[in-house]
Amino acid sequence: MASYILRKAEPKDVSDILRLIKELAKFEEMEDQVILTEKDLLEDGFGDHPFYHCMVAEVAKQHQSADGHVIVGFAMYYFTYDPWIGKLLYLEDFYVMKEYRGFGIGSEILKKLSQTAVRTRCSSMHFIVAEWNTTSIEFYKRRGASDLSHEEGWRLFKIDKQSLLKMTSEE
Amino acid sequence: MRFTISAAKPEDCKDIERMIMELAVYENMPDQVKISHKELERDGFGPNPFYHCLVAEVPEEHKSKDGNTTVGYVIFFYTYSTWKGRTVYMEDLYVMPEFRGNGIGKALLGAVAKEAKDQLCSRLQFSVLDWNKPSLDFYMAKGAEDLTAKEGWHFLRFHGMALDNLAQEAP
Repeated sequence: MASYILRKAEPKDVSDILRLIKELAKFEEMEDQVILTEKDLLEDGFGDHPFYHCMVAEVAKQHQSADGHVIVGFAMYYFTYDPWIGKLLYLEDFYVMKEYRGFGIGSEILKKLSQTAVRTRCSSMHFIVAEWNTTSIEFYKRRGASDLSHEEGWRLFKIDKQSLLKMTSEE
Repeated sequence: MRFTISAAKPEDCKDIERMIMELAVYENMPDQVKISHKELERDGFGPNPFYHCLVAEVPEEHKSKDGNTTVGYVIFFYTYSTWKGRTVYMEDLYVMPEFRGNGIGKALLGAVAKEAKDQLCSRLQFSVLDWNKPSLDFYMAKGAEDLTAKEGWHFLRFHGMALDNLAQEAP
């Protein structure tokens, strides 16, 4: 397969981005957890104060997918802060449609993201991967990633809305 | 003991730097702290802050052994979940040991929960080291769930040289 381009996502891409988000969630066996809508993506990514940045991979029309799509991959990221080393680039989601894998699109996306990180003075690029997702873990480790949960013992926690509201009403 | 929780000001950065180091010492990683109050000032108080910070202060008559009245802090920022939308990530929460047991940690966490609620965030995320039992107990009592245990999430990163190599990879 020949050409594709990587570009910054535009408002018109939100429908494709949501489609790809749901495909990735399905792969992670958590499809029913996606409650985000196109409207949320539009407001939160393209308003006055974007909560995320997004890059998409687009193929030429003659290479469109079986379902007629030309947006075949995406990466969503934002900037975070580590009080020890400063600015970080956090990679939230990274996905290439199955029929477009093996052409280097994923590697190219990762390279572009790391260039963005270096250009914006980030010391590190962080992300999370499910431990059973050995294909992805190998992909990242081959490229020099280290597993901080394994090496240093960090565990990810969440406190959901209900518990948060309870805390705000406590004295 | 009386205390106040308020948004940090640029002049608080020296105290924040001090407490960041105290927390790093507790986490057995003091040599990993590379930034100082200068970066904290630059990155937290411009038109585009990379983090938000709340500090806990006690009145002069309750100052610490070393003469400090700023005795706790929390650093957080806004992130994005492709499943749930806006979220808050709590990066550091710390109260000096001699001021614990007075509800300061609870108040700092409650203040972040309120920010999360005001900004329409559906979730608060953070990470804890697996051996840090006092913190694990504190958060579990507030309704936190360990996503590393429950869903297998691991933190990975591309850091320093690994990030540079990724950015320079030949196509």
